[in-house]
Amino acid sequence: MNQDSIRNFCIIAHIDHGKSTLADRVLQLTGAISERDMREQVLDSMELERERGITIKAQAVRVMYRARDGHEYQLNLIDTPGHVDFSYEVSRSLAACEGALLVVDASQGIEAQTLANAYLAIESDMELIPVLNKIDLPAADPDLHGRAVAELIGEDPDRVLRVSAKTGIGIDDVLESIVERVPPPAGRPDAPARALVFDSVYDQYRGVVAFVRVVDGVLTAGTQLRAMATATKFGAEEIGVMTPRTVSTGTLSAGESGYVVTGLKRVGDLRVGDTLTVEAAPADEPLPGYREVKPMVFCGLFPTDADEYTALREALDKLSLNDASLQFEPETSQALGFGFRCGFLGLLHMDIVRERLEREYDLDLLATTPNVEYRVTTTQGEELLVRSPVDLPPTTRIERIEEPYMRCTVLVPADHVGAVMGLCQDRRGKFVTMEPIEGRQQLVYDLPLAEIVLDFYDQLKSRTRGYASLDYDLVGYRESPLVKLDILLAGDPVDALSLIVHRDMAYDRGKGLVDRLYKTIPRQMFEVPIQAAIGGKILARETVKAKRKDVLAKCYGGDISRKRKLLERQKEGKKRMKHVGAVEVPQEAFLSVLNIGHAQPSEAKR
Amino acid sequence: MHLPFCAARCGYCAFVVEVGALGRRDAYLDALLVEFERESHRLAPLETVYLGGGTPTLMRGRRLTRLLAAIRPHLAPGAEVTLEANPETVERALLDDLVAAGMTRISMGVQSLRPHVLGALDRLATPDQAVRAVSCARAAGVGSVSIDMLLAVPGQSAADLADDLAGVCAMDPDHVSWYELEIKPETALSRMGVEPLDEDAAADAFRGTVAALEDAGYRWYETANFARPGHECRHSLAYWGAADYVGLGVGAVSTVGGARWRNAGGLDPYIAALAGGGSPRRTHESLDGDTRRRERWMLGLRLDRPLAIGWAGPPDHPDALDRLARWGLIERDARTVTLTREGRFLQNAVLQELMEYA
Repeated sequence: MNQDSIRNFCIIAHIDHGKSTLADRVLQLTGAISERDMREQVLDSMELERERGITIKAQAVRVMYRARDGHEYQLNLIDTPGHVDFSYEVSRSLAACEGALLVVDASQGIEAQTLANAYLAIESDMELIPVLNKIDLPAADPDLHGRAVAELIGEDPDRVLRVSAKTGIGIDDVLESIVERVPPPAGRPDAPARALVFDSVYDQYRGVVAFVRVVDGVLTAGTQLRAMATATKFGAEEIGVMTPRTVSTGTLSAGESGYVVTGLKRVGDLRVGDTLTVEAAPADEPLPGYREVKPMVFCGLFPTDADEYTALREALDKLSLNDASLQFEPETSQALGFGFRCGFLGLLHMDIVRERLEREYDLDLLATTPNVEYRVTTTQGEELLVRSPVDLPPTTRIERIEEPYMRCTVLVPADHVGAVMGLCQDRRGKFVTMEPIEGRQQLVYDLPLAEIVLDFYDQLKSRTRGYASLDYDLVGYRESPLVKLDILLAGDPVDALSLIVHRDMAYDRGKGLVDRLYKTIPRQMFEVPIQAAIGGKILARETVKAKRKDVLAKCYGGDISRKRKLLERQKEGKKRMKHVGAVEVPQEAFLSVLNIGHAQPSEAKR
Repeated sequence: MHLPFCAARCGYCAFVVEVGALGRRDAYLDALLVEFERESHRLAPLETVYLGGGTPTLMRGRRLTRLLAAIRPHLAPGAEVTLEANPETVERALLDDLVAAGMTRISMGVQSLRPHVLGALDRLATPDQAVRAVSCARAAGVGSVSIDMLLAVPGQSAADLADDLAGVCAMDPDHVSWYELEIKPETALSRMGVEPLDEDAAADAFRGTVAALEDAGYRWYETANFARPGHECRHSLAYWGAADYVGLGVGAVSTVGGARWRNAGGLDPYIAALAGGGSPRRTHESLDGDTRRRERWMLGLRLDRPLAIGWAGPPDHPDALDRLARWGLIERDARTVTLTREGRFLQNAVLQELMEYA
């Protein structure tokens, strides 16, 4: 196909603004899928995604479109994820396209994430086609929102398309606009091959399957290719496109997108962002990649049954094959045993990984509260990056501690501004600006990542009845009076429960933890003091009194086996307990203070 | 020997009991005696016999004397023969007959002397009936008189328990069994959703009872049993000494050597099996050396005397002995382990530290 007849585009939208439905309509209109196939989100391949209504994997689909001018065009649609956590994924996909449909819900208008991704697209010099979706809804206000979108990207309001992906109105205009307004790819078909790897999946039979956008030259199946950054050589076993079903074409030429079956068995062999070239006639320079993304949120993942550690490690290995942004390293906790410290792009990313581990790999997991990465400067001038409280040097050797701050942009109707400001202030936020944007207020606050990492988004939504939208970006490290809060049981510190907190919050957090533990630690044969401390200084204390009676009251001849079995059951229960020194601590006690996203356990009677 | 007949099932009872089956008492007794003749040789001559229930006294004098007469030839000299009794089914004439037929010990099911507590437990006798029955037993010359009581009953206040303690001491029995009420599944109390007393209240009740009975001159010789010198229950001591025993009747359990078996629970099948010349349906459990060793510790630590390691076998976790001693819960030497007073109140916890039961 002539490069002039190729269009590579993606769809940018906030969650629930109809991106996937629109993508499906494009497929349907071009005959790639039948009307019957057009169930929700054909492009989503995982159960989880369908449940949450979001897309995780970016995929490339090729469709053929006969335009009104009579010519046939090859349209390559790249489906992008749609959540604030996944701007990394978005930027990968953008690198593969020349144009984007900027989709806005005609009844909701611009959301914070729409803005963020629109800027990303503009920065990458892409042609943006604004599309107002859901015009079929009674609450739709196409004039208002159409004008706002046009203003946002500096476009003529009359060139904003109005569609309903659900009913099919206006979709043919969308396809025409793509043909008309998205520039054809500008690579050189005769130059040495260069193809950008913008995604990959791991297939247990075929190895790593790379999704590529060929910029220059041609890739042919059966030839030796080279990944330029890792210098990995491999044979291109199969090359083709997804329509959305897999079709082997044998080649991909300049301007086209598709897949390459590499046969590589290790995830490290092929990095997303790398450039593929032909071994026999390699290119001199790789394509410009994109920035390495740092995880924003951390948590500890531990198997509840220590025997499942290996299974957890294998599961994480497999998940990371298809998710380059998932990071993990082994970690040991005094209370929870062996596990992993994992890094995620955001809370949603973390939730999805946890669910996949539990559901697809059938693991029972404890997730400990996410920690952020702190920058510690010692009195000797050394700079350390500390993720876990146990890695903090002793207080006397700390010159200062800095924590990551995020610049948060919240879009919210005016009557919820007070609630948002209150929440941000509660979370140690620093006000930056506020300005009106099309009838709503846009607030910008700088907040410590530690304060938003767990449930800020949830709180934001619930205090604004769902109207607030959030986007955030790392803005730098700032010094804070942070301290290490320790929890001691019968005088022994419990590593797994240590926290790094702001000095002003230390008492409240400490008291809360102590109270929670007091309710869940059963009485032992001796008294158990529970203390929260900073350094040597005790902030809060509760004491679990010693048991005063523990007997098997009655036992006669008919009873002996029954009582013995009762002892067996009690013993099994004890074996499931963790031991901190001589103190027996049930899992539930740790869960109650550490675990997130589980229902509250019942608390022991006092 | 189990005599399961009862007028009604008490709210807390999880025993093998038959209500409204009085018409089958004779047939059951026939069957029971057949089983007795068949099995008694295992342990003859018999040192102790315990006639429990149900409500054994519901068998009435005629049947009970027949039973005692059948047992008599197989008894060792000085054997202890205990009968459980409910106060509302006891009169002087019955007691005279029983003593004459060889009953040496009576265990009176009193449970409480407070009417509202008796009501909560569905007991049929009044406090007056209980007091009268005990004094009848004395007058009839029963060799050893024991009273069964309950503590930690929901609705039973500390004052109620204090009243019960005073009442029991006033009756001056030779032996007292004072159990903590357990709310067992499938009992009326559990179906009603009754919650047990909280931990500390139960601990107070138990400790207070032990103290009061010791003050009154009883020896706290087993976790829930108290006796004047010489009046310990020899039959129970045999259980707690892991001796062999044979159980007869519906639901009865036997342990001989490394074998344990339990008779099935239904009245009619039991009667039919024995009438037909066979044995009742039984479930069998074989006990290996480790199991028996663990049982000896479980039983031995119930008593107030040193546990001989030579007899019981070594504990599974000898390393626990040091810390238990440090915590003041046991005393030990090369050959024995003894619970301290505090250790006796935490007997189960100590056992779990020392032994493996999984």
